[in-house]
Amino acid sequence: MASNFEIFAALHVPGNPIILYNIWDVGSALAAIKAGAKALATGSHPVADANGWPDGQQVPIDFALANATRIINAVEVPLTVDFEGAYSTDPELGAANVARLAVTGVVGCNFEDQVIGGEGLHPLNVQVERIKAIRQAVGDQFFINARTDLFLKTQTYDDALIDQVVERGKAFADAGASGFFVPRLADTAQIERVVREVPLPLNVIAFPGAPDKQIWTDAGVARISHGPFPHRALMAKFEEMAREAIS
Amino acid sequence: MSKFEDFAKLHIAGDPLVLFNAWDAGSAAAVAKSGAKAIATGSASVAMANGFGDGEEVPIEFAIGNAERIVRAVELPVTVDFEGGYATDSSDLTANGRRLAGTGAIGCNFEDQVVGTDRLYDIADQTARIGALRAGVGSDFFINARTDLFLKAKSEAHDSTLADQAIARGKAYAAAGANGYFIPGLTDLNLVEAIVQAVGVPVNAMHLPGGPSRADWAGARIARVSHGPFPYMAMQAWLEAEARAALA
Repeated sequence: MASNFEIFAALHVPGNPIILYNIWDVGSALAAIKAGAKALATGSHPVADANGWPDGQQVPIDFALANATRIINAVEVPLTVDFEGAYSTDPELGAANVARLAVTGVVGCNFEDQVIGGEGLHPLNVQVERIKAIRQAVGDQFFINARTDLFLKTQTYDDALIDQVVERGKAFADAGASGFFVPRLADTAQIERVVREVPLPLNVIAFPGAPDKQIWTDAGVARISHGPFPHRALMAKFEEMAREAIS
Repeated sequence: MSKFEDFAKLHIAGDPLVLFNAWDAGSAAAVAKSGAKAIATGSASVAMANGFGDGEEVPIEFAIGNAERIVRAVELPVTVDFEGGYATDSSDLTANGRRLAGTGAIGCNFEDQVVGTDRLYDIADQTARIGALRAGVGSDFFINARTDLFLKAKSEAHDSTLADQAIARGKAYAAAGANGYFIPGLTDLNLVEAIVQAVGVPVNAMHLPGGPSRADWAGARIARVSHGPFPYMAMQAWLEAEARAALA
């Protein structure tokens, strides 16, 4: 029987993407499974919001790991965790943190290149070292979904930006990443170029107002996640229900 | 005025405080944004959201940590569904009450079922337990003493004999220092009103989907209406439908 690592990796098919409806706790995980989810992904922002912390590694690592463990204990399907910047800028310490995460039984994680709590992105050579260290620590099968935050740091989504995205994607692939995540990448031609030039399954995020999933599917996307939006929508609905109940 | 005093004053017979139960800091913040005057957790909701069974299967460390996170996330008074206080022994109850009050919560529900059984503590035991809890939480803390009589009996058996038992318990709990009395499961408004008239502390009813309206509860002189696990269950159903649409 295929392991959850294999099942999860095999779900990343360019042109037939795995859809991940991001969750934050056991209850939301169970709701996604009842809805037919084949795999689960947490979002760091919803985990933070649900528990009263700001995003950006303000969720204590012990809470993040315990939350992952609770979800793993409740479900059978593969779970990947949004692990932000692995709670350390130091490659070895970050890798040790991802190794702790792997022990919970998750099949993978998101790992981002922005300087959390600082400005901009980690230089490419530094980010490559961080990914290599993680790969070394977690073995071959763990799905490292290497994220670039280039699109989140600018409003100008031009060819020069895509040049940088492609450069990072290729370097992350060489460093041992399993997937490439470019939140806010949305343009079909830009997606097609990244798919063509970066030898990793491409993950984009579905945001309110984003193009239809079929367009991205046709462009070769392999994974579509939903980031903070499911939790935000749920909380807006909950607020509305509460208002109705108390008025 | 302290948060406890604010909260106590919101209990008005005939103009009930409505508590739309939350389970984590995010849901508490959403309820606060909706204009609520206070926040209440539901133990079943907290359990379901985190993969535990109800009935004190949520580890007390998690329950306390969750209470702390909720208190930090909102300005409003927070009352916690503390089940049976996670203890049978009175010194443990006092210690657990002290921990709960240390989170900044200003009240709790405290039930009379022997958690994990079909039984209730007898009145003498439960009044002693309320006293032990009070010793831990201090005076500025709203103990909402719950009787599980109506949850343990089928609704056909919710008659005046059972209501008399509930009155006996409610009076004893009030005399032992409870600030409020919670009678979940009872929807017979005549019996509700009889209990309200007799016990001498604000009475809390649990809203049930399809059950009495807020106006009905107000007419029966209820001072507090809470929603138990139903908000969480409704949100889970909504989330599942959203997820299904997104995954399709």
